[in-house]
Amino acid sequence: MNDTMTTFVATRPPTMEPIALAQQHKMAARNVDAFFGKLQALYDVCLDISANRVLAIIGPSGCGKSTFLRCLNRMHEVAGGMMTGSVSLDGHDIYQTDAVLVRKRVGMVFQKPNPFPTMSIYDNVAVGLRLNGISSKKMIPEIVERSLKQAALWDEVKDKLDKSGVSLSGGQQQRLCIARTLAVNPEVVLMDEPASALDPLATAKIEELIYELKKEYTIVIVTHNMQQAARVSDQTAFFYIGKLIEFGETKAIFTNPTKKQTEDYITGRFG
Amino acid sequence: MARHFELELDHLRTMLIRMGSLVEEQIDLGVKSILECNASLAQIVMDRDKKVDEFDNEIDKQCMRIFALTQPVAMDLRLLMAALKINNELERIGDIAVNLAERVKPLLENADFVKNTSISLMAMGARGMVKDAIDSFVNNDPRLAKQVLESDDHIDNLDREIFDMMVGKMKESPKLIESAAHVLIISRHIERLADHATNIAEDVIFLVNAKIIKHHADDSA
Repeated sequence: MNDTMTTFVATRPPTMEPIALAQQHKMAARNVDAFFGKLQALYDVCLDISANRVLAIIGPSGCGKSTFLRCLNRMHEVAGGMMTGSVSLDGHDIYQTDAVLVRKRVGMVFQKPNPFPTMSIYDNVAVGLRLNGISSKKMIPEIVERSLKQAALWDEVKDKLDKSGVSLSGGQQQRLCIARTLAVNPEVVLMDEPASALDPLATAKIEELIYELKKEYTIVIVTHNMQQAARVSDQTAFFYIGKLIEFGETKAIFTNPTKKQTEDYITGRFG
Repeated sequence: MARHFELELDHLRTMLIRMGSLVEEQIDLGVKSILECNASLAQIVMDRDKKVDEFDNEIDKQCMRIFALTQPVAMDLRLLMAALKINNELERIGDIAVNLAERVKPLLENADFVKNTSISLMAMGARGMVKDAIDSFVNNDPRLAKQVLESDDHIDNLDREIFDMMVGKMKESPKLIESAAHVLIISRHIERLADHATNIAEDVIFLVNAKIIKHHADDSA
């Protein structure tokens, strides 16, 4: 176990018993406090994530939204942080589960497209399968094709699968990364500003993709783009200085938020 | 520091307030022209309607510009939605003032007939409702808007009262049929004024409280 892993503090006893409150939700965060050394980044966050829906996390820079996202698949501890409280997936505490298994079930797409530069388009998608011990020469091509189709990229790359992943445009690279995430068959997909580095057309494709993917996956997206949050999400959570200020249906948050801080932020009057 | 966006919203509100003030004057003059059978006042109302229409177009354009450039949400979105609808209501109120003014000429030969009805009382009530509805928008005052809603029944009752009276007059004397028919139409116009005031009041309640109350809807926006 590396040093960063040892900084994690589990407050719940090591048990696989479901957290009662979380049973009807895909994931649930309870009393999550997150830290980077002495700096506290999240305060007592409680949030339920519904299955097959899109949750948008919004808030100003430094409000803890990406930290919260990383707490959902134990990436926060990899980044040198620690957390207390609990996060459950299907009622089981992910911090009492093998981290690799958690990250297989809760995949992640990052802000900047990061295909493996030395690998072909095909291998970029297949690599996760091979790392997970799948070596079947029949299965891998099938899963690669299915994943690229799910990521709405297949038609654009099917004739050049042996080309380098980085030869694609930025928007295509991001969809390739989404295909790579989907290949290992996750249940939840976390997206950290997945379209912030893309042009409007590529952004529209990613947003359309998110809409399609929620039929099979639970999606949590961090975004700075208010319109994007309004367009793609079913539920929205507004974070401010490490606290969850408001959480609700997106249509309610964007028409009639209950908290003044939320209203001020989404209407651009913040500060 | 005021944001550019807030200046745009302020400009929109200012235009709506000016348009509201103009249509209030149009109602005053329209009603006065009827009660005094004053054709020159009526002509002023008809001539000034193009100013109301200009406001209508300007406000529509301003709303479209703000929607396109800023994609407003929450309170700002509700203001834009309410502004579009209130603009429409005010334009219709302006048209009704013209409709009233257009009744003056046919009534010139029987000027006293209108004075002996409740038209004056009804017009005063509807005029007050329009004023209060506009004031409720200017002051973001949902309580005043609610009072406007409550006043509508009174106007409806007066409309029915006038209808019964005019039908009686028509039965009494065939000579009065034409004048009574004009009064019925005037009464209906004034009743519509009150309805438009009611719609504005509903828009104000939506704007401030985010509640859709029209058609007895009770779900929040």
